[in-house]
Amino acid sequence: MTDAPAPRPADDSSLVLAARQGDRAAFGGLYARYARMVHGILLARVPASDVDDLVQDVFLRALPRLRDLRDVARFGPWIAAITRNRANDYYRQTRAVAAVTESLPEDEAELPASNTAPDAEAAAILTFVRSLPETYRETLILRLVEGMTGPEIAVRTGLTPGSVRVNLHRGMQQLREKLNQAALARGLVADSSSGRNAAAQGKNSLRRRNEP
Amino acid sequence: MNDDYLWDGSGEPDPEIQKLENRLAKFRHQGEAPEFPRISAARQPRSWRRLVSSNWSFGLAAATATVLFMAAFGILWWSQKPSTNSEPGWDVESVAGTPKVESSAFGGNAGATKLGIGQTLVTDSHSKANISVADIGTVSVETNTRLRLVAGGHGHNRLALDRGTIHAYIWALPGEFTVDTPSAIAVDLGCSYTLEVDDSGAGLLRTKLGWVGFKLDGHEAFIPAGAVCATRPKVGPGTPYFDDASASFRAALSKFDFGASTPEERSAELSRILAESRQRDALTVWHLLARVDESARGSVYDRLATLLPPPSGVSRDGILRLDQKMLDLWWNQLGLGDASLWRTWERSWSEAKS
Repeated sequence: MTDAPAPRPADDSSLVLAARQGDRAAFGGLYARYARMVHGILLARVPASDVDDLVQDVFLRALPRLRDLRDVARFGPWIAAITRNRANDYYRQTRAVAAVTESLPEDEAELPASNTAPDAEAAAILTFVRSLPETYRETLILRLVEGMTGPEIAVRTGLTPGSVRVNLHRGMQQLREKLNQAALARGLVADSSSGRNAAAQGKNSLRRRNEP
Repeated sequence: MNDDYLWDGSGEPDPEIQKLENRLAKFRHQGEAPEFPRISAARQPRSWRRLVSSNWSFGLAAATATVLFMAAFGILWWSQKPSTNSEPGWDVESVAGTPKVESSAFGGNAGATKLGIGQTLVTDSHSKANISVADIGTVSVETNTRLRLVAGGHGHNRLALDRGTIHAYIWALPGEFTVDTPSAIAVDLGCSYTLEVDDSGAGLLRTKLGWVGFKLDGHEAFIPAGAVCATRPKVGPGTPYFDDASASFRAALSKFDFGASTPEERSAELSRILAESRQRDALTVWHLLARVDESARGSVYDRLATLLPPPSGVSRDGILRLDQKMLDLWWNQLGLGDASLWRTWERSWSEAKS
């Protein structure tokens, strides 16, 4: 969990005003404060391999448009909107929807066996998170990947704390169901192909599978 | 186990969530801030009031000092964009037949061209085209349409639809894409919509996703998904309505907006509208608050209060005197979008025009 305190709107305001006057350090401060949010929103939508470049691109796009931000205390929701638009642009420009290899459709994603590399397992889990409805997956990625707390997500994205809490709860509920189904399906496949102890594997939930 | 750990990391840790956090941490943001260019402070103010009140001379000096740097940065940045298209204007491709940009036909072997600022795109009865609107969306142009590119780029993208039909799908920030028609201006607020204009200049806007602002002078309408709004020259936008409203409701609304010539006729049509309104038609009734005479506003208030009770902070007296804050609070209660979005971009847009 992050140790960074949730930003106060007044802090954002002073940074935005200073950045508008050409203060690069102030804009750097906004970057430090919001880069994780931007990264998480992008990760919910585009291939992980392109996310870092797009984070910088979002901030470079936002920089000359700071003058258009009417309410300087709402930098977070504003750059969140730019980020979502940038993710849409990404697909339009690259026409790479089909090439998002780690964004497999839900029914094509499967959990690797428990003895495979952690990277493969992490990629599989991310695929399941990204198969959730947009609202849930964005909030859940900010929480589980970027390490932001619910209150911090609310302050930075402009969502109400109630909405964030509901998104986290329902998103986690759906993620658990998908992961458990995947674990069950993997067990059944293993049973039909090798005749190993499918019953035991099929009953494994993610919780049990991940226990040391 | 409750959700406290998921919410803010407090309470008893949930081992399943901890495992997920550990696995997914490899995707966490690690990047450091790039070296950002300075911003020209002189570009910030838009209205003369802000110009006067700000330290603009300092901004001008800063702009002078940084313009070379910004130019270099701009060239570098644009050269690194994925698009290889560096000509000015928007890309246009023929979908059917041979549309024209100015007098030059394209289509067939010459299936694509550019629509430059100030240029006109015309389709005839056999031709259609698609426009790529900068990086922010697409516009499909139907047959028998004539439209012009008025402005493009830097958050200010503007078409003028003289006649015909377009379908716009825009993913820009609200207010960055507008379409002038002879009788109103459509302001994109994050949406997909269809806009038609006939030879008399009358128009019809139908929102499919998100919502659109429709405006002429002080006459304005907010049109959410599933709603329709007509507009007429010299009158401006009519009152929006959901397209599943009853035929008699729509007929009465059309007469109220554009047909009734005497106060008595308007009053009679208003009574029909209010009597036939369903809960969903609160959208229409809310708009009527500002469109009726003061003497009739009480009856509109009463009907809207029946369909959608006013929220805390909204009083009858305030609404009767058209208190903007209260009107917006009640609008927000409709659940169709936050009025502050429109107000913000309305101000920005007005200042950009001035």
